[in-house]
Amino acid sequence: MHDALRILPAGTAQSATRRNIMTLLAILPIIIPLTGAAIAMLLRRRFQLQAAWAFGTMLTSFAASAYLLWVVWSTGRPVVYQMGRWPAPFGITIAADLLSAIMAAMVQFVFVFGFLYALGAKDKAVRHSTFYPLFLCLVAGLTGGMLTGDIFNLFVMIELVVISGTVLTAISDDRYGPEAAYKYFLISSVATFCLLFGIGSLYVSYGTLNMADLAARIAADPNQTLLPVAIVLLAVTFMIKSAVVPFHFWQPDFHTASPTPVSAMLSSVVVKIGVYGFLRLTTLLVPQADWLRALLVVLGIVGIIFGGLGAAGTHNAKRMFAYSTLAQIGFIHVGVGWGTPLSLAAAILFTFNHALIKSTMLMLSGYLASRAPVKTASFSVIRGTGKYAPLAGVLFFIGGMALAGIPPTNGFISKLALFQSGVQAVQGSDFAATATYWVPLLLLGISSIITLVYVFRALMKIWWEPFAQKSPEEKIKPHGDSLLAPGLLIAVCLVFGIWAQPLLQLTQDASAWIRQPQAYVQAVLGEEMGWKR
Amino acid sequence: MEILKALSIGALFGIGLYQLLRRNIIRSAIGLAITSNAVNLFLLSVGAYDGVVEAYAKAIGQRSDALPQALILTAIVISLGGFAFVLSLLYVISARYRTGDNDEVKGLSH
Repeated sequence: MHDALRILPAGTAQSATRRNIMTLLAILPIIIPLTGAAIAMLLRRRFQLQAAWAFGTMLTSFAASAYLLWVVWSTGRPVVYQMGRWPAPFGITIAADLLSAIMAAMVQFVFVFGFLYALGAKDKAVRHSTFYPLFLCLVAGLTGGMLTGDIFNLFVMIELVVISGTVLTAISDDRYGPEAAYKYFLISSVATFCLLFGIGSLYVSYGTLNMADLAARIAADPNQTLLPVAIVLLAVTFMIKSAVVPFHFWQPDFHTASPTPVSAMLSSVVVKIGVYGFLRLTTLLVPQADWLRALLVVLGIVGIIFGGLGAAGTHNAKRMFAYSTLAQIGFIHVGVGWGTPLSLAAAILFTFNHALIKSTMLMLSGYLASRAPVKTASFSVIRGTGKYAPLAGVLFFIGGMALAGIPPTNGFISKLALFQSGVQAVQGSDFAATATYWVPLLLLGISSIITLVYVFRALMKIWWEPFAQKSPEEKIKPHGDSLLAPGLLIAVCLVFGIWAQPLLQLTQDASAWIRQPQAYVQAVLGEEMGWKR
Repeated sequence: MEILKALSIGALFGIGLYQLLRRNIIRSAIGLAITSNAVNLFLLSVGAYDGVVEAYAKAIGQRSDALPQALILTAIVISLGGFAFVLSLLYVISARYRTGDNDEVKGLSH
């Protein structure tokens, strides 16, 4: 720091200092929740204070990430922070380009509602003294994974997500919590090994861990023997993280067993780290790998069909939405796999909207479980409880419409954008290429109908069928979790369904940015100039 | 030396994967630890392909790369914490089901 100031002329030094302070913005969404988690741990004996502190921390952190998104979007330049002022390829870089900033803001926005739900939840797990610190660690890890520009740092952040998610599930009220946590930990450890092997292979081939530097070196020399191996290993990691079909088996169990505020976050934003990984992999690291994109389209379609059918056959509301996540992630992967400017924009939009909808639906399922005589979202228990929860019924109906993609909800906008990108791609290509778009488009349409089927199945089971009292002492509880968070989220869904233009513009800008990887590379590697001079 | 390293990584990975897939949940946790060591050894060999002397030694061309060692340190710390947590989970599960057999631990399937 001092060296740089001494060498540069006075005026430049001042503006450089100012610029450096602005770059600190990139790390705020990570550092605020981490610090907040440490302080929340100190407040473990005073539950009310700890909860209030955690919620305040989350709000502050969201404000920082929203401001970061605004700065990145309005200035048109990525905000890049070099940790400890080590120049780019050697130190750890935190780089917020438009994609990362959108993802970070999305994660933290949804997490604000997750905290809001936790504040009003009746779970015993929420009263656990480590709940809020772990929840803050989860959001820090997730945001960090999306903002980091260093592939090993990505591994560390993913591990933070895995460990905090596992512990949060293990303390769940559900008696199968530890079992689900164990299952998840085992599988995500396998993902971790794949990621580490991939990182090692990339490092031995290209001698760098910085993603921008890697992208430049891969573009210069794409014929290294270990490169395809590394790409496959990274792809497997991200597939396990985002529960793509052959690697999905942990996901429904894990998302059913965790406490409601946590499972709402796991199924909506935590799986998006894999989507983010694929977006970076196919646009920044190996934009030339067509086979990877084709694989994504195929697996996405399999996921859409499998997830939809799986959701239609479940016996538990939470499990149904966990399966539905498989299908929705499939939609996003098809968008990423097509790789046209419009379809990438649609994929990012879909990511955002799905996060809002899915967290709402899981919160509503959790609400019904909290009203039911026994705390579970199994259909046999919550059947008929809807009669005593009319407001939740209205919210569930609107949320279900959003999930299936019916206007005026945001689900409609994201599906429309995806369809439009497919149709547009058809128009410019010959017959053989056309088939790669028409077949998915047809299946997307069918899957939307499957979505309607399972949402209405749940609606009928919960709101239309009578409540089956098995014994006289079995009564519906008069009060459940607070409906504030899902209500607000539904309002947001409707707002983004009617007033979608800014979001569409934002995602299209992001798609234009990520299609020019050299700009990202320059932004990350170019910042060292002030230091070297 | 490289052959030896490659063989031992392969052997460790094979043993770890085999244990990971066993029916006993405690064996699978031990498989996790063995596999993580295989990965760490792989990372070590990534940096030390022609390392004869320690990092930052003066002899050019012979020193190992120090970075993978830092990576291994991070990975070891993380896997240590994870392994301790997994053992505590195993304690809870085996106390509840009174068995370590994977096929008996199936409360989630219904």
